[in-house]
Amino acid sequence: MKTIPKKLLSYIALVLVALFVLTPLIWAFSASITENSKVFEYAYPFTLRAFFPAEPTLDYYKYLFFEQNFLLALKNTTILSLSTVFLSVLISAMAGFAFARFNFRFKNLLFIIILATFMVPLEGIIIPLYIIVKSFDWLYTWQGLIIPGLANGLVIFLFKQFFEEIPQDLIDAAIVDGASWFRIFSRIIIPISKPVLISGALVVFVGTWNSFFWPLIVAPNPELRVVTVAISASSQTEHVTIWSALFGGTVIATIVPILLIFPFQKYYIRGIATTGIKG
Amino acid sequence: MILNSKRWIPYYFLAPSLILLLIFRIVPIFSALGESLFTISFTSPSGKEFIGLGNYIKLFKDPILWQSFKALLKFSIIVNPLQIISALGLALLTNQQLRGIRIFRSIFIIPIAIAISVASVLWGLVLSRSGLLNGILSSIGIPPQPLLTDAGQAMWCIIFIVTWLGVPYWALFFLAGLQGISHEVLEAAMVDGARGIQMFWYITLPLLRRVITFVVVADTIINFVLFVPVYILTSGGPQLATNFVIYEAYRRGLIYGDLGISLAMMVILLLFIGIVVALEFYILRERREKGVFN
Repeated sequence: MKTIPKKLLSYIALVLVALFVLTPLIWAFSASITENSKVFEYAYPFTLRAFFPAEPTLDYYKYLFFEQNFLLALKNTTILSLSTVFLSVLISAMAGFAFARFNFRFKNLLFIIILATFMVPLEGIIIPLYIIVKSFDWLYTWQGLIIPGLANGLVIFLFKQFFEEIPQDLIDAAIVDGASWFRIFSRIIIPISKPVLISGALVVFVGTWNSFFWPLIVAPNPELRVVTVAISASSQTEHVTIWSALFGGTVIATIVPILLIFPFQKYYIRGIATTGIKG
Repeated sequence: MILNSKRWIPYYFLAPSLILLLIFRIVPIFSALGESLFTISFTSPSGKEFIGLGNYIKLFKDPILWQSFKALLKFSIIVNPLQIISALGLALLTNQQLRGIRIFRSIFIIPIAIAISVASVLWGLVLSRSGLLNGILSSIGIPPQPLLTDAGQAMWCIIFIVTWLGVPYWALFFLAGLQGISHEVLEAAMVDGARGIQMFWYITLPLLRRVITFVVVADTIINFVLFVPVYILTSGGPQLATNFVIYEAYRRGLIYGDLGISLAMMVILLLFIGIVVALEFYILRERREKGVFN
């Protein structure tokens, strides 16, 4: 039989890729529960203790939460992500609704402009964006952190695609009943759009949770410092780093988005496949 | 009232997104163009002075800028094909009907959710002098490598990290594309005698054209503006080996405060990206081909 070896080869390849993906993550977790002075001792020269520490301890998580400012960073990232998700999904859904359900002047032109803005990478305009936000006096503020990232052409596109599929009868019936367009949007469209709301919310959440460059330059002050910036800062300090706690930080930063997308994998993948946003 | 008339309604729905996109996406592009024509001045009250194309002329003669473009080109020429071909391979691998394939697909989703900054910190630890990689290498008899601290190896480390992070992401798009190919088309080709590589080359690849175009364009753009791993791990070094254009622009603008030069650099980079992307669209455009179905 020729098919069996081919299957076997596929499994070998799959396992190798999975190991490649998982090894640094498993090491990060093990190191976070390993005594600080042992972390690199176990790794170099390599022993299996690197993955199965002799005396696992949760002390470094305690240290991270109670003696570092990590809890504040976690709180900041959560506030940033949740408010961005709420506002961004709301305004993108509204814009997607307009494109899907109305005819108006310059519709195609506006849509092309909106999509084109996302051909220009954020990193490419980050310095002029910084200058604008600075001229608003928004440096080191929540609004400077949140507002420039709210409008999102690709999420608008995601909603437009979904809203185009909604049967016209539903809307016509509401118009006959004398409902206003804002009522139609909030009472009819939104309640039946759960799948696309989940997709959009997840894509925006993961993107914001993981954002780094913008928070780094617009709000590097300790009071507004987010998790990604806090982790990178503590990896770059000149004085001795508590390695185990640093590993613990990466574990927590990683595990939140993973735990969120696992139960909603289907929606998340659909969101990414439609929008192609890299967080 | 005119503002209540029906034809204004769509604009109300559009207004929040449009206004924000205008202020925070479109204005910055044009203000970059404008500001790149100024330089710092200590004598004028605005603190800047109009010098026309002065910054561009200065940059044209600047060996550091040429060097950073050279580093970026070298990086792009390696990393883009590597990521795209690996991603296509991973998609083909996970598109098979195998027992337990869902578990593998779930594992491969993990890097997609990880921040590039966190991945950089983590890989920085893996790749450090007495880190996990050197540990594993030493156990098979290979002496410790300098990796991120060596001008010859640093760029390869960055390539390695963004590949780890990027391949599962791009594979997702290829997988979606592969799953969109109808079985009838594949069966028809089988009946016509197409097999294996032939099948892949003449049937699967052309049917994936739109996905491939998207991935090629999006991946090139992302890699041309790659900033985070360089910022966290190498600061452009050693010996400018990873000093890509965006990092150099960041350094001149936000560390040394020379915004004019920094923006001129970004304008050049964005123009360059525009040209490359246009070329990619041209090369990957839809053509009538002599395929099985013509």
